[in-house]
Amino acid sequence: MSYEEDIVSDDEMNMIDEDVATDSEAESLSDSDTENEITEKLAEPTKTAVYNRAGLLDKLQDISWPEDVPWTHKLTVEIDQGQAVDVNDDLAREMAFYTQGLEGTREGYGKLEAMGLPFLRPSDYFAEMVKSDTHMEKVKSKLLYEKKQIEESEERRKARDNKRMAKEVQSQKMKERAKQKKDDIESVKKWRKQRQQSGFSEKGKDLDLEFGNGKSFQRGGGAKKRPGVTPGDRSGGKGGRPTSRMNNKKREFRDSKFGHGGRKGLNKQNTAETTNDFKGGFRGGKASGNKRQKR
Amino acid sequence: MGKKRKHSETEAAAPVVKNDSAPERPKRTLLGWKDKNEDAEKSKPASVSGFRNKEKVLVTCSRRISYRYRHLMLNMVSLLPHCKKDSKVEAKSSKGATLNELIELKGSSSCLFFECRKHKDLYLWMVKSPSGPSVKFLVNAVHTMEELKLTGNHLKGSRPLLTFSSNFDKDAHWKLLKEMLTQVFGIPKEHRKSKPYHDHVFVFSIVDDHIWFRNYQISVPHNESDKIARGGLDKMTLIEVGPRFCLNPIKIFGGSFGGPTLYENPFYVSPNQIRALEKRNKAGKFAKKIKAKTRRQMHELANPLEPDEFADMWKDE
Repeated sequence: MSYEEDIVSDDEMNMIDEDVATDSEAESLSDSDTENEITEKLAEPTKTAVYNRAGLLDKLQDISWPEDVPWTHKLTVEIDQGQAVDVNDDLAREMAFYTQGLEGTREGYGKLEAMGLPFLRPSDYFAEMVKSDTHMEKVKSKLLYEKKQIEESEERRKARDNKRMAKEVQSQKMKERAKQKKDDIESVKKWRKQRQQSGFSEKGKDLDLEFGNGKSFQRGGGAKKRPGVTPGDRSGGKGGRPTSRMNNKKREFRDSKFGHGGRKGLNKQNTAETTNDFKGGFRGGKASGNKRQKR
Repeated sequence: MGKKRKHSETEAAAPVVKNDSAPERPKRTLLGWKDKNEDAEKSKPASVSGFRNKEKVLVTCSRRISYRYRHLMLNMVSLLPHCKKDSKVEAKSSKGATLNELIELKGSSSCLFFECRKHKDLYLWMVKSPSGPSVKFLVNAVHTMEELKLTGNHLKGSRPLLTFSSNFDKDAHWKLLKEMLTQVFGIPKEHRKSKPYHDHVFVFSIVDDHIWFRNYQISVPHNESDKIARGGLDKMTLIEVGPRFCLNPIKIFGGSFGGPTLYENPFYVSPNQIRALEKRNKAGKFAKKIKAKTRRQMHELANPLEPDEFADMWKDE
């Protein structure tokens, strides 16, 4: 740093800075330009390129076949492409080629048919093909494999959906059953009260009213007879077994609170967040606070 | 030689024959006797004009060609029954003379020469032999027939329909290229190795000043030999057979493997230049970093921080 430069005023300093900044910007721009240039094509045509139109046409005259050559020798078809095709859009480009081929074939076949020439291979005409049978076998097996893969994934998805549906249906059923049972008990209570009020008279009539419509206290719609179980047995199966899980109110509540059943595995697996989360550090012992972060 | 003489004789005799061969017996077809005068007349001028396509293509490649490009060449050989494959040729500066000699030896009239450089870049020479023009292409986007994605198949040696996009008529050099492509890729009628049916189609299309090549199998639902079922043309589908490639014309010369330059692609950048440019861009990274660092240092020196007024505040105690 020379003395002169030290004296330079602040404003000028800023100016210089700006210059530098713009310079660097220009540089980066030019860099990106050169990077853009790497697309196998010059931005503008070179001036020195040779283009000898007369020579080209001369040569064309030299090599071209006589004018009156019948079409069957050439088999060429010109197809108008319509608007320009975007090269970088693979799908559009291939589609353009395909339609060109298709239209060309239609035109060509039309001409051949008009001339009455055979052009389709009879089904009993066998001859050497461009691709060997072993190769075509390979192609076929690959296609089959892909198809199988797709089918399998479809099946898996269906099974998953079915499972989800079944779960919903099951819970719906359970709810219905519980409701029915509650209603039944309610109705019995009502009936009892009524009977009490009416002083235990005309019992047959009421009984008919309440129980005649096929409802019963038992789960599973009454009419079913349970083999090997005494009619009064309400334990629901094996003698010593406690009542089923869903009938236990306390249990039900606790299940809903703490969860019961279902998969545990996914809780223990890493997810994208947890793998990238280094908050806990790698020394497991000290970072006790984050151990349960995932849940 | 005998064949050739015969041909020239027919050529000379043909006009005479035309006049007195009017009562000819009807032609036999698959479905019976055909006695359409129209057809007879139509088929006659073809033989009358005496034109016979005797194109023969020499297909060969340079030494040290990579396998993918070699496969492409073999695909071309299987597609063109009128070609002759030859052993590899050393790609020196004198290759033109050697190749010309080879072409003459083989008695062919055109040549496809696959030249591979640096195991990376493929150049294709398409040459009309004795005096005709020669074109040098850069070949891009090569897919061979062996790829399993290309599922079509067709008869070996059946004559393809050649479809050209309409922009081939736009310019003189495209016109010339179109003519060359039809001659080289079109299989001569009644070639002994060709088959009389047409079950595939070549697509030549100019997009972005490149010639794109595709080969499709034509699949038409049909039951009889030469009758398409009603609506069959609408139900026709194409299945790609391959190979695929994209030709970027570099230069057109007047002679075969040499001669005056007739056309030069003004947009062409050689792959070597592209690679060099890429490399240079990458190489600039370190220099740029150093430059930025020094700039920063200069800046810091030029703008020293103001002395901190609280720096020695607590030092007294």
